[in-house]
Amino acid sequence: MAVKFPSVEFFRELAGLMNGDRPTFEKLGFCDVVMGVRVEAPTPRLFALTFEVFECTDVRELESPADAELDFTLDAPLALWREMLESIAKNGRAEPRYTLNSLSHLGDRMKVVYDDPEGHDKLYRFMATLQEYFDKSSQLEIE
Amino acid sequence: MSYYGSTDYSYNSDFNLRVRDMKKGNLDFGWLDDAREKVEVRPRDPRRGLEVSDCEVGPYAIEATPDIVRENRGLAPRGALLTLGNQQPDLGPSLNKKTDVWAYRVQRYWEEAVSRQWNVSTDVPWQDLDKYEISDELEIAFCQLCTLLSEVEMIATDLPAKWSHHMNSYFQEVKGFIATQCIDEARHSEVFRKRALANGVGLLRASVRGEHALKGILEADSYSEGSVFLHVLGEGFILTLFRSSEFISPSPVEQRMFQLVMQDEARHVSYGLQHLKYLMDECPEYRPQINSFLDEAEKHLSGLFNPDQLESMIVLGGKGTSPGCIQRGIEVVGAFQGKQIDEYFHRCERAGLPERRERSPLLELQQRMLAAIQAA
Repeated sequence: MAVKFPSVEFFRELAGLMNGDRPTFEKLGFCDVVMGVRVEAPTPRLFALTFEVFECTDVRELESPADAELDFTLDAPLALWREMLESIAKNGRAEPRYTLNSLSHLGDRMKVVYDDPEGHDKLYRFMATLQEYFDKSSQLEIE
Repeated sequence: MSYYGSTDYSYNSDFNLRVRDMKKGNLDFGWLDDAREKVEVRPRDPRRGLEVSDCEVGPYAIEATPDIVRENRGLAPRGALLTLGNQQPDLGPSLNKKTDVWAYRVQRYWEEAVSRQWNVSTDVPWQDLDKYEISDELEIAFCQLCTLLSEVEMIATDLPAKWSHHMNSYFQEVKGFIATQCIDEARHSEVFRKRALANGVGLLRASVRGEHALKGILEADSYSEGSVFLHVLGEGFILTLFRSSEFISPSPVEQRMFQLVMQDEARHVSYGLQHLKYLMDECPEYRPQINSFLDEAEKHLSGLFNPDQLESMIVLGGKGTSPGCIQRGIEVVGAFQGKQIDEYFHRCERAGLPERRERSPLLELQQRMLAAIQAA
């Protein structure tokens, strides 16, 4: 069944896939971060994804960034998130141009919003785990 | 042999007599007189196993340790019973103040480092290299970059190794963390070496300017100076360079490689930031000294931007050597250098040194460098 992006259900599906693939995420190691995903659409939407140890333990939609202690937020237009997901669907994982790092590194395509550099550095400390989480979307039919 | 102790234990007659007695079954059990209060240690979170922080109880906790350790100058682990009369040999640790080495969250970084280890031989998809066509010019540029990165990672292995035995053994978490850093950095040197060789081009020019900059890190007068130079300034810059290198990687093989090295590097930067912050919070009187050191260290660091490395990054960033590619490459390199500097200033602000943005020669150096490249 198709799952809508962006939605809490979408991120929960990914969490389910992550939590069901213990060997991959145990190999990548502990991941402790609360990440924001902001989708700029006609009405912007913000999601908080909590990662603990080897799992994604909580997915919530937020009214405002102040409703959760976000280490950092990835903020991009809906069209760009969709391009990234299409790249993952096509290749089984993000193509070089569409990794979280590439999208957020130079230019203003995907912004990394943070207050504390320690929180910002968590994006890089746990990059392989977070990328693997998003790459799991290749297993979903996305609406 | 350069150390001869005051007692030759192999010919110590008292000891030999005791051993003979023990062999007859006459045990003294004197060591049981020291039996101590029991402690209860359990994994707080069973998913993580028994963590270092779970063992922070009673006399074993860092909180129970004085800020300056005077009682132990040997190898006794924190919480062990010391023999009366200072019989432990003095191994001459010079870092005996907690503020010399400690960092907020160091226990967390140690656990994270142990958990997120990876293997160069098997975790990079080397077998996929043949699937991707990489032009000669990009391959050569990439190997030049790998050569510099291999050099950089050597010093990042050597600095923590140099200081570890100077640290009092009561600061075991820091010694443990920097031991993981040594293996991380050794792995980085390994991955860049292997990648340079993997497609046949091999390692290219070693960097004179770069190595002078790296020598400055190794020769820092104190651990804190070495740490702020290596972890905050040097590795902060290299972290952004790794991010850029993932961005401009010629194939998914290099992307995976940079994704993995980036994680380790970011952890080292976090430790350095939290050590600097701890030092500034607890010993603000060190601020002028750290600032003066950074005035010089930031100039040193410009050595990492040597012409071979800059040109190779420009070729990789622009994906070729045509005038259009070079122009694009200059823009990419200029943008990432700006990001390196800005992220460094932000980290300094968070650690308690907001004045770096005003004092630092980095912005001017970057502008001069870009102007020179543009003019050429």
